[in-house]
Amino acid sequence: MEAPALPEWLQRRDEERRQQVERRQQEKREQAVAEEQSDFFQSAFQAERAAIEQLLAPPGGAPAALEEAALRLQQLQKFLSDSVRFLPPYDLRQAQEALQRLQAALGDGRERLRPKKKFAFTCRKKEASAPAEPSAPRAPAALPPPPAAESGISGLECETLVKGADEVQGRDVLLSHLRNCTVKLLGSPSTLHVRHVRDSRVLCGPVATSVLVDECAGCVFAFPCQQLRTHRTRDTKVYLQVTSRAILEDCSGVQFAPFSWSYEGLDRDFEISGLDRSKNNWSHVDDFNWLVRDVKSPNWSIIPEKDRITHWD
Amino acid sequence: MGLLAILKKMKQKEREVRILMLGLDNAGKTTILKKFNGEDVDTISPTLGFNIKTLEHRGFKLNFWDVGGQKSLRSYWRNYFESTDGLIWVVDSADRLRLQDCRQELASLLVEERLAGATLLVFANKQDLPGALTKDTIREALELDNIKTHHWCIQGCSAITGENLLLGIDWLLDDISSRIFTAD
Ligand SMILES: Nc1nc2c(ncn2[C@@H]2O[C@H](COP(=O)(O)OP(=O)(O)OP(=O)(O)O)[C@@H](O)[C@H]2O)c(=O)[nH]1
Ligand SMILES: [Mg+2]
Repeated sequence: MEAPALPEWLQRRDEERRQQVERRQQEKREQAVAEEQSDFFQSAFQAERAAIEQLLAPPGGAPAALEEAALRLQQLQKFLSDSVRFLPPYDLRQAQEALQRLQAALGDGRERLRPKKKFAFTCRKKEASAPAEPSAPRAPAALPPPPAAESGISGLECETLVKGADEVQGRDVLLSHLRNCTVKLLGSPSTLHVRHVRDSRVLCGPVATSVLVDECAGCVFAFPCQQLRTHRTRDTKVYLQVTSRAILEDCSGVQFAPFSWSYEGLDRDFEISGLDRSKNNWSHVDDFNWLVRDVKSPNWSIIPEKDRITHWD
Repeated sequence: MGLLAILKKMKQKEREVRILMLGLDNAGKTTILKKFNGEDVDTISPTLGFNIKTLEHRGFKLNFWDVGGQKSLRSYWRNYFESTDGLIWVVDSADRLRLQDCRQELASLLVEERLAGATLLVFANKQDLPGALTKDTIREALELDNIKTHHWCIQGCSAITGENLLLGIDWLLDDISSRIFTAD
């Protein structure tokens, strides 16, 4: 009875195997195509870039050369736009930066050709350099008042504060202008913002969406979250669980370790937050100020295991 | 026929619309786009470059360009202005402390020549948060009533619950199509 079934079963297995092999080959081919396209892009882009640089290089800069450079620059921009689908983000940004430099060089070239007025006093305008420094604090009057429902702690020094689930759960929590404080949030907020906090500890239950850290220094943070954005922060340790990605911008001396703080009710709060507890990308950090691929950013590091906090209380 | 007229004709045939999504980082641009497309929103990372998504909706082909909003990416926004029909400006309604940045960035876009013809939809996102400012407060903070150069509309929404996303996009499409796809 079983004998006739066997070949069919075998056949099916064989068919499955064959399809799988084919699928893998197909994937390989696609991968190869993507890499090839990316390689092709790189060499074509670099060649054209060099050519345009040549056209723009002083002391040449004849009007005709500039116009040709402008045209080719425009085409190069289009080439980049058409290639974005298969370019890795870092390549893309480097290409964009290269284009921007060329654009600036073109602007300079045109400036040089502009006829100069004779005998006029010139007042050199200060270059409007990118404001790397945080802009001046805004007048508080310009801000709309916080809605009654916003949950937050602000303007404290040398205090220890513990907030329970009733004040945290599902809320958008803002901690700002704290110094030498310890803040424990025993619950699952929807989102957490930490701003202008110095030499403090902030420990928080699972954050359902994102955490935003801005202008902090000398702190220890611990929380699980979906995303973490850290801006303008230095010398800070983050004990992190992040289910998608953590990124840095304008930071230095930020250190990471896996989330290890615990409190009674953490399991329940994880469930409330909806975070996938099995996912933790704490050690994959993208630094927006670091574009070199395959070389880790100097602005962050991993806390050596022997130096990590294990006893939190 | 001038070049503009030809472009208009081409678009008319394909009913293709290009929509640029901008806003500060963390505003919820990528989440809105994925939610609108019925995708999972739990796995979204901060955007390192940009995402392009093409969707069919109401017989239109919508090309969404979702560009990262981190400060270091903002100088690249201009690379995406060309032929934009609709600009969606996404605001985190609970991020009071960055509303001024948000206003300034938007204002600097609205004077861009290459965005002159675009319809503006402002999404006051994250309305599900208890501390979210209302869309009217956001309208005042961003000084939207002073805008005379663009058709605009502000819509409160939540990318997490999906509330009002469709309403906003439909308004945007109605406005764009009344400008672009009218019979010649
Ligand atoms: N509560 C709440 N959270 C939201 C909403 N929309 C987005 N978020 C969360 O906000 C965070 C940022 O969302 P993204 O979509 O990554 O924001 P973005 O504007 O694309 O950010 P960049 O890519 O950095 O420019 C994520 O953690 C989202 O889950 C919303 O309507 N309500
Ligand atoms: Mg994004």
